[in-house]
Amino acid sequence: MKTIKKSLTGWAGLLGCFVTGKLLVLLFDFPLPGALTGLLLLLTFLILRGQPSPSITAAASPLLKHMSVLFIPAVLGVGLYWDDIAQHSTALIGAIFVSTTVALGLAGMAAEKILNKRIATSK
Amino acid sequence: MTVVDALELIFHDFAGVVQATLTFNGALWIGVTLAWYVLALNIHRFVKGSPLLHPLVVTASGVGMTIALVHGDIRQYQLDAALIHWLLGPATVALAIPMYNQWHQVRDLGWRLIAAVGAGGIIAPLLAWSVVYIFDTPLAIQMTMLVKSITTPLAMEAGAKIGGVPALAAVFVIITGIVGAVVSDLVFRLCRVTSLQAQGIAMGTVAHAVGTAKALQMNEHTGAMATLGLCLNGIMTAIVVPLLFG
Repeated sequence: MKTIKKSLTGWAGLLGCFVTGKLLVLLFDFPLPGALTGLLLLLTFLILRGQPSPSITAAASPLLKHMSVLFIPAVLGVGLYWDDIAQHSTALIGAIFVSTTVALGLAGMAAEKILNKRIATSK
Repeated sequence: MTVVDALELIFHDFAGVVQATLTFNGALWIGVTLAWYVLALNIHRFVKGSPLLHPLVVTASGVGMTIALVHGDIRQYQLDAALIHWLLGPATVALAIPMYNQWHQVRDLGWRLIAAVGAGGIIAPLLAWSVVYIFDTPLAIQMTMLVKSITTPLAMEAGAKIGGVPALAAVFVIITGIVGAVVSDLVFRLCRVTSLQAQGIAMGTVAHAVGTAKALQMNEHTGAMATLGLCLNGIMTAIVVPLLFG
């Protein structure tokens, strides 16, 4: 009974942030995505509260753990764009495979340079 | 638009999703998707978490094959399994939790952390965009490339806001994550990135959740920094990109 109540409270919190986020976007014509607005609302709430919320964490963890499966309908939508992909395959392969590899190396080197001092002093 | 109109719109969307789920086809296709997912999780465990056989790749191939065998209508599948797609919204909101759990790191590392994530967050989309720009691809593809390094739900929403294609965004993002996770060891060795924190930030920033999963396997600190990179870059990119190009 207690777990049911906890997860219901958690879901109410998550959905509350989600709906409020969407509402704000619709009402004020926000440039941000609705779900991102909801994320920022929840983050603000947690920071103001100063401690994690066990019920929201309980509702959120299965969603976070199994987020992969939630992408399936969207990913399969790629089948509808097959012609575009085939037509631009060289560019797409270059942009995804080559540029990701290079970006990962550059991002790592940049992060090391920027963080270096801070980590050296904290050790 | 009044509050009532907006609420009605949100409710109408949700009611449509519930209606589609409570049909035979809805239940069937959600069941098919979950069954493939469970199988994919077991396969992933069997290959010891190799990013090449990421559950998403196996599930998508399995469901895709099933659809092709049964009716071949992807749009119909998307309508039937709308509940799964809808849950991405609450799941995106849930990303606030790992972000909050790493909040002490944000306060601790301060602007250096933001700068380190920001560097990767600018380099990755800029490189990807230059490639598709040089090859003169349609604007929709160029816009979609800008969001390829951030986590899928944010990429799809931010991509849609700037005239990209959400379905393409999802696929670009996932392949980016897999490429990043597969090449990371070699890249860090070649570029002599030895700091575990820097490796984590680069993995989370450039290769989002798939990179973060790999980072968590490497080391706890690497994983924590990757989580930060994933969340911070996702939020920053999803805020900045629609403001610049929306």
